[in-house]
Amino acid sequence: MAGVALLIPLTLNMDATGAIIMLCAIFYGTAYGGTITSVLLNTPGEAASAITTIDGYAMTKIGKAGAALTIAAVGSFVGGTIATVGLVAAAKPLGELGLLVGPPEFFALMVVGISLLVALAGKSMVKAVISGALGLLISMVGIDPVAGAPRFTFGVDRLLDGVSFVAVIVGVFGLSELLSYRKGAAAPAVHAPNFRSLLPTGKEWRRSAPAMARGTGIGFGLGLIPGMTGSVSSLLAYGAEKKFSRHRNELGKGAIEGVAGPETANNSHANAALIPLFTLGIPASPTIAVLMGAFLQQGLTPGPTLFTENSEIAWAIIASLFIGNLILLLLNVPLVGLWTSILRVPTTILTALILLFMVIGAYTINFTVFDVFVMIGFGLLGLALRHLDIPLAPMVLTLVLGPLMERSLRESLEISQGDFGIFVNRPISAVLIGLGLLIIFSPLLKLRKPKALNEDPET
Amino acid sequence: MKTRIRLAAVAAAGLLALTGCGANAGATNTASDFPRKGKSIEIVVAFGSGGAVDTAARLIQPVLEKELGTNVEVINKPGAGGQIGYTQLTSAKPDGYTIGATGSPSVVVSPLDPSRGAKYTRDSFQPLGRQVIDPTVIAVQPDSPYQTLKDLLDAAKASPKSMTASTTGLQTGEHFAMAQIQETTGSEFAPVHFSEGASQATTAFLGKHVDILVANVSDVTDLTKQGKARVLGVMSEERAPSLQDVPTFKESGYDLVAGTVRGYSAPAGLPDEVAEKLEAALQKAIEDPAVVQKMNDLGLQTSYLNGDDYQQFWAAQEEDFKKVLPLVQKTD
Repeated sequence: MAGVALLIPLTLNMDATGAIIMLCAIFYGTAYGGTITSVLLNTPGEAASAITTIDGYAMTKIGKAGAALTIAAVGSFVGGTIATVGLVAAAKPLGELGLLVGPPEFFALMVVGISLLVALAGKSMVKAVISGALGLLISMVGIDPVAGAPRFTFGVDRLLDGVSFVAVIVGVFGLSELLSYRKGAAAPAVHAPNFRSLLPTGKEWRRSAPAMARGTGIGFGLGLIPGMTGSVSSLLAYGAEKKFSRHRNELGKGAIEGVAGPETANNSHANAALIPLFTLGIPASPTIAVLMGAFLQQGLTPGPTLFTENSEIAWAIIASLFIGNLILLLLNVPLVGLWTSILRVPTTILTALILLFMVIGAYTINFTVFDVFVMIGFGLLGLALRHLDIPLAPMVLTLVLGPLMERSLRESLEISQGDFGIFVNRPISAVLIGLGLLIIFSPLLKLRKPKALNEDPET
Repeated sequence: MKTRIRLAAVAAAGLLALTGCGANAGATNTASDFPRKGKSIEIVVAFGSGGAVDTAARLIQPVLEKELGTNVEVINKPGAGGQIGYTQLTSAKPDGYTIGATGSPSVVVSPLDPSRGAKYTRDSFQPLGRQVIDPTVIAVQPDSPYQTLKDLLDAAKASPKSMTASTTGLQTGEHFAMAQIQETTGSEFAPVHFSEGASQATTAFLGKHVDILVANVSDVTDLTKQGKARVLGVMSEERAPSLQDVPTFKESGYDLVAGTVRGYSAPAGLPDEVAEKLEAALQKAIEDPAVVQKMNDLGLQTSYLNGDDYQQFWAAQEEDFKKVLPLVQKTD
């Protein structure tokens, strides 16, 4: 978001087509760029790449950083290109599809998302729920979106908007990992991959393909829904890998699916999110709202009239999406070798550098030192959770979904004027809530059967 | 419980009084050489970049630079519905080198609600000039049975809260407009607060998840052209240029005016000389034909008022809002 906003002033004197193409390219380009620091430095460049740190950095630690980045680039290209094909082929019906999702359906989707907590649980369900509840609690900090009352702000006006998601993520994942090294002897040495291991192996390609397919689907579907953010897509894609991938047990330890799924999903999401903008004139996310502002400044009105009144500009932009995605691929795959060479820096120095990047990263979110303290605070929290063996991913999931879930719940109840029936009377929302419950209870069903056979005293 | 509320109110009033004094005390040094060359002037925008407030500020910025002969920088301090930026603006030194974009209702409402703990009041600002008014409109679905404003309001009076209507959040312009309608006509809608803003509200309206769209003229101009919304009334003195066929509330017999208003202000206590220079430069910039044209392209109608008039307007608006404040405060 910051990238697009920062460059708007630069484009004011360019011609409309060039300006828009440049801003669009920054918009979906960042969905790739955020990955590089996630994988190499365990510091997400942007929220949508946060979940990639888990398996991306784990791959770096076992010398597979090159493969992770290459797969991320290819996945981003696949996701982005397929979403753009969707934009060309069926923009109008797809845009209308997004409108079917009103607040109750949005809430039901969030229930499906939260249900993936089951998949992220790991060994202990109780610990996963503790982690998830903590995330929900943190997400409540700030002004209540409906009643307008400040919650958990302790009179600090910086907290009125809640804590910054990226600062929390960098702290909880990145900093807490760095801090946990101190306890042991030395930081584990990360290896710069040699030339041959820059490219993924055949096996890694084969394992990535289904993850990319799932990521494309999830990102594309969610991208069409106004109000959904890219981080929801990447999180749910990761959750889906944890739940459905054939190698789900390896996730968290450096599995390629944990990079391919989310990275494909966030690029697919970014490109799909342009569909509501082009067909309905609706910005699906805050970043797209910034992009829409740029359209308006250039005297263009996004929406159905764009294709009739300024068709040459509209199609030039769409063509640029294809070319841009291709350039990102061509630019990034050869550069993987260059990026990974940062790992040649001796571990002791690299660790210090990573800490530096984390502080800079947290500071530049809003250019306040406050976010640096948030990052450090959550680093300590993350360290405590690691010691207690509480998984971190469920917390991130609820932290992202919590505010969206609360907002849509309360909007729905305002529409129905307090009647909870609105969630089951509407077919789409009823089906989704059913699906969510099914995912939540599926492990119980699996556990019950063998237990019942072994322990049933009456047989 | 009651005493606690009263205590809190007294404490809040005390705080406000203190900050008011603080702002005035800073106004000692008069600078006749304002603006000094090489010292840049900052426009604090309390909203994110790319939005309407930011765009307006960036459009006037080059003209201001030319008029004042020094650098002018737009600084975005978004957050908490403008409160972060307004706090920064009002706590800056009143020397003319920090001015800010002020938009209502946000700047008017945030200090009225003690629970938000705003460290400023209306007196903390020195209005320098008003730039635009974006009047509130009320629109129905294209297939709605209501053809006129009277039809709609009568129906909402006969069965209160039977129709849902969008706002862009609690105590926003749309919410206040609805409260004003309720107070004057007795017609009551069930508000649905889309705290993410106008695009979320419009999306829900287009998906037919809410019945009525309460929005600004700039939000509905394009929807009307596409036939996706039927605007029944505009809450302005005169018809909006982009919605020439739509009668105002006054024409329909309801004496109601509401809308989003944006202008520029400095921290209170500016030396007169400095205020005059800034006001003159702002007027030039706001009325610059190229700027006015760009604002029109964005669907925003330039409506300049000088500092004094803007101040009076602001005070009048505060009175209006205070009257209906109980209606927009959540009671549960």
